[in-house]
Amino acid sequence: MKKYSFIVSALMIVVVLLSAAVPAFAAPDVVTLGFLAPITGACSAEGSAARNAFMMAIDEANASGEYPYTINVIVIDDQSDPTVGAAGAQKIVSDPTVVAATGHWNSGVAAATSPVFMENEIPFLIWGAIREDLTSEKTYPWVTRSAPTDVQENKPLAKTVIDDLGYTKIFMVSTTDSYGSGNTVAFKKELASRGLEPVGVEEVQSETVDFNAIVTKIVSSGAEAVYWGGVNTEGVYLKEQLYNAKADVLFFGISGIKTDDFLIIGKEAAEGTFAVQPGVRLDSSEAGRKFIEDYESRGFDVAINAYTPYAYEAATILLQALKTLGDDPTPEKMVDAIAKGTFHGVMGETTFDEIGQTTLVAVNLNVIQDGQWVYYEDSEYASGVRKFGGKE
Amino acid sequence: MNFFTSLVFSAILLGCTYTLVAIGYCLFFGVLDVVVFCSGDIAIFGAFSIISAYVMLYDLGLFQVLPIAVTTMIILAVAALLCALLSILTYRVSIKPFERSSALMPLLSTIALGTVIREFLGLLFRPLLMTITGPITRVADPINITSGRNPQAMPKLIAPNSSIDVRNYIIIAVTFLIILLLFLFLNKTKMGLSMQAISQNKELAYMNGINVRKTINITFVIGGIMLAIGGFLLGSYQSVVRFDTGSLYGSKGFSAAVVGGLKSIWGAIIGGMLLGFVEVFVSGLIPGGTQYQNIIAFLVVIVFIVFKPEGILGEKVIEKV
Repeated sequence: MKKYSFIVSALMIVVVLLSAAVPAFAAPDVVTLGFLAPITGACSAEGSAARNAFMMAIDEANASGEYPYTINVIVIDDQSDPTVGAAGAQKIVSDPTVVAATGHWNSGVAAATSPVFMENEIPFLIWGAIREDLTSEKTYPWVTRSAPTDVQENKPLAKTVIDDLGYTKIFMVSTTDSYGSGNTVAFKKELASRGLEPVGVEEVQSETVDFNAIVTKIVSSGAEAVYWGGVNTEGVYLKEQLYNAKADVLFFGISGIKTDDFLIIGKEAAEGTFAVQPGVRLDSSEAGRKFIEDYESRGFDVAINAYTPYAYEAATILLQALKTLGDDPTPEKMVDAIAKGTFHGVMGETTFDEIGQTTLVAVNLNVIQDGQWVYYEDSEYASGVRKFGGKE
Repeated sequence: MNFFTSLVFSAILLGCTYTLVAIGYCLFFGVLDVVVFCSGDIAIFGAFSIISAYVMLYDLGLFQVLPIAVTTMIILAVAALLCALLSILTYRVSIKPFERSSALMPLLSTIALGTVIREFLGLLFRPLLMTITGPITRVADPINITSGRNPQAMPKLIAPNSSIDVRNYIIIAVTFLIILLLFLFLNKTKMGLSMQAISQNKELAYMNGINVRKTINITFVIGGIMLAIGGFLLGSYQSVVRFDTGSLYGSKGFSAAVVGGLKSIWGAIIGGMLLGFVEVFVSGLIPGGTQYQNIIAFLVVIVFIVFKPEGILGEKVIEKV
């Protein structure tokens, strides 16, 4: 009897030990990704479209049956506010099932959340914040970025406006925040490299609504073109007030204004606005056309904006990295899978350089024609039917 | 228009926007001795009410049938009614309960109410409007009703077919007309004189048979209507309104009212214009000066508070101890 009870006890111990050990060998039921964007607030058009695109990719992945677990997403609305973003990042890192996160359209918010992810050793992929110093040797390999930097956007914009279109008298207006000051530095460098100086430089605080004094200055400076180094939140007021003052200038900027929210001032006031947009032309590839079709078929109330494909691309990168790790992804494995991987998405092939910056740098040019954003090369401005302001 | 005249014109227009909000502060402070800090938010609520009324009229098909002057008057009436209700609500919810408390309490509660108004616009503007009108996303160029947190296009109701200069002249003229009407109301009508009596001495006004409660309510109705017109004019001037600009207009309008003398309507004009001129000229005349315009404008406010705390047209109060 004593012998049997010993065997039963030994068996019970084995069963207990085995049952404790089983989860370590089995695939987790849920793997979580963090997603951060300004879903409400002044930049909500960009943020909510990005959220839609990101979730579209995740839903497709979950439905495909290719992953041995359910992919869960913690969506954080950062409201374009660094403190709200940092609190959201804390929420993400405190979830033990999180293996990676991606976020932000606003550089200031990305600068606030990157340290949180680095300290907690969660790989963080930036999909839409473009200030150059967000990726560096110090942040590598924990922080990577699949979008081009402000420098990479300003370069082709300067080439087109100055070298190709021939504008040399340029008045620069930017916001004093992290995004605007990064653009001021980047575009000034472009001018300096061509031996030019801006005819005027003004910096305004975020949320400025009255630009009339600056407009008067622009008109009297003899500027042919106005460079706007901010987002549409304030840029839309400047463009409207330039139009009201009948200022004969080209209004141009980087991707912060390439949003449908810029069109609310009406087709006359917005006409001829010129903006660079990161990425390849979506309609030029099969994958890009499918993305547009899928997004539009879902009936979202926000249209595809400049960085919407980048949010989709970020999802693709994270999903492809997850796939390489089989059924046991961890943050430690994900960091290398992202930083050293090669990914194929709607933008083409993405790899990351030695500071975690994407090597895929592509931009396209856009102009507002009759109240719609159209690709520059398809527009009547490129064919010569219409002329930009500031030129005879 | 040359450089200097253009700056002066911009300064007058900006000054008008500050003055309209500053008058709201003066009116409320005059009667109750409280600072209603959400005045700027009530004005922005007025601008959003204009957009809502415009969309509703468009949805009903009235906009296409009636002359624009008539529809504009209907839209203004709707906005004035909504702002008057909000103004009365402000009094009932965040001022009246604190009548016997320190002056800090209504100040704090109106700041809090300002946040509530902003968030209400940001979160509920579109869903509420869509509930009334149905799923309209694009009414007419450029009105495109998106989330309340996005910038909204203001309907072009003031001289829509004329040049921008004409529109701006009308905005300036209407601002001064409103101030004149308010001045006449305060000085030539029984109700206006009652308001002034309460402003000077509430107890004595009671003893003289003035219905103080009714007068206070009417003051908030008139204040609400004034702020609705203020929101309409500043929205028409900027062409774009954002839900969160109420606090900016509130702080600028309050500063203008303090500089001018909190109980004086003419002081509000002087204060509003002073701020407008300082901001525009710092931005327009100093190269790269725009980033300093708010610093300098508020420094001017501080200098006035230090050297003339009663305001430019305010009366010095000497209390005998």
